[in-house]
Amino acid sequence: MIDRRPIWLTLFIVCCALLFALLAVGPAVWLLVIAVQPAGTDLSSATGGLTLDNFKAAWRDGQMGRPLLNSVLTTVVRAGLNVMLAALAAYPLARMRFRGKNLIFLALLCTMMIPEQVILVPMFRIVVGLSLYDSLIAAVLPFGVTAFGIYLCRQAFLAVPASLEEAARVDGAGSVRIWWHVMLPLAAPTLATLALFSVIGAWSDLLWPLIVLQSQENFTLPVAVTSLMGQFSTNLRAAYAGAVLALVPIIIIFILLQRFLKPEMFGGAVKG
Amino acid sequence: MSERRFHHPATPYLFLAPAAGLLGVFFLGAVVQVVYFSCTRYTAFTGPDWVGLDNYRRLFASERFWLCLGNSALYLLVTPALMIASLGAAMVVDAKLPASRALRLLLFLPVVTPTVVASLAWKGLFNEDTGLLNVWLAWGGLAPVRWLSEHPWTLVSAMTVTLWKGFGFYMMVFLAGLLAVPKELKEAAAIDGAGRLRTFLAVVLPSLTPALALVFVVSSVSALKVFDEIFVMIKGAPITQQTAVPLLYRIAFEEGDYGMASALGVAIFACILAFSAVNLRLTRGGKGSEADA
Repeated sequence: MIDRRPIWLTLFIVCCALLFALLAVGPAVWLLVIAVQPAGTDLSSATGGLTLDNFKAAWRDGQMGRPLLNSVLTTVVRAGLNVMLAALAAYPLARMRFRGKNLIFLALLCTMMIPEQVILVPMFRIVVGLSLYDSLIAAVLPFGVTAFGIYLCRQAFLAVPASLEEAARVDGAGSVRIWWHVMLPLAAPTLATLALFSVIGAWSDLLWPLIVLQSQENFTLPVAVTSLMGQFSTNLRAAYAGAVLALVPIIIIFILLQRFLKPEMFGGAVKG
Repeated sequence: MSERRFHHPATPYLFLAPAAGLLGVFFLGAVVQVVYFSCTRYTAFTGPDWVGLDNYRRLFASERFWLCLGNSALYLLVTPALMIASLGAAMVVDAKLPASRALRLLLFLPVVTPTVVASLAWKGLFNEDTGLLNVWLAWGGLAPVRWLSEHPWTLVSAMTVTLWKGFGFYMMVFLAGLLAVPKELKEAAAIDGAGRLRTFLAVVLPSLTPALALVFVVSSVSALKVFDEIFVMIKGAPITQQTAVPLLYRIAFEEGDYGMASALGVAIFACILAFSAVNLRLTRGGKGSEADA
């Protein structure tokens, strides 16, 4: 920009920035403060001393080790499936001509409009019908692929120059090899973004696991934390310790993968 | 596209099969089923037996349906708050301060935070006896507010979580919009003697219209679908103080009335579709109509 910003405006923007930063981080810090205070101290004062008792209680009574493992497992599998199945389905939609292509694409866009919340009953009955109730497979399967993910991958594949694909054809590569050796590497940034979104969504998911997971050994972290809230109303702090356990891994992953988070990805395609 | 067909005729279908199978069964199939179930007597133990529109009749006659639907409508107030907060955050991040990249990441942290965790953190702040908010109110000589037990404060506290967790996401949408504003336009406005405010109102805001429309539709639809925040923050409150999806959860998985819950699902779906249709109409017809929101 050519003209300089007046100093008062810069000051105002800095103040806003600090306020936003404080609001974004404050509640998470408060969570940590509550989690490390001994039971019975005043929640409003941060001077009650430090303790790890709440984490021990969460680990022992809530058996947080198992939910932690379950959350890692379901998140990894769900994100992996999301990327692979979406990339598979997107390839013919972007690059091949076949009967029913437009119809299939339209049906896909329709599923993007369907909120899972309104079809919980049939989804639940299908899982029960498949004898998958109270299993980690049930927590993953319905969300193994999303129309949003397919759409995102299709956009990325459409941007791959056709000449690359033709060159591979001439060299005798089949569709699977072209998909794997040409399309996937070139769409890698999009796939990484999709993986990041899937990990965030799967790690946070509460409603569906709450419905299909019944026994404590199958709980994911969000379900285990809510069940701790109900179980120990006298010592809510164990739930807070569990919440800290649920927060730390996803923040680490986010910081590691943050370079795949670009504003441009939010321009055209936003999950509905 | 004019590419020649090199592949086997079955190849595209094989690529599509896994995704189409999952989405076909769990989404398209489930939509057909939910409509069918909504017309049956279907509980955890019996059914489904066809009863026509009986579930809808009972649903529309029940007081809690209308109260929860009303609460969902109130919950839509989170949308304007989200739009202001996220546009503000985007403009601050776009202001080219020294650490704007770090700030962008920091403001995205709430989006990454699992909703259960965010709700618990805010539950601590909203705690009626010991929470920071009521402590501050007391310092100011004001009476404490029953954030977690009195209607409509229960909704306000849940909406705060939605706002906190959501604004970083929509901020990215606005950032994409701000980055797409052509520099030449801004420079031309500056050369023509327009001040900062003028430039913003006449150049930046109009080109943000698609982003504003998108955020408006997406955030209001997700407000209608809210569950996690309500479930964690005000689980103890009567169901009539909660919203539509928690009511569906209660009817289906605590009372075991699948038929009724399906009817409620269809009703919520109809509301969401009607809402997005009207939204799209408005945003296409009257450009900038929600620019002041």
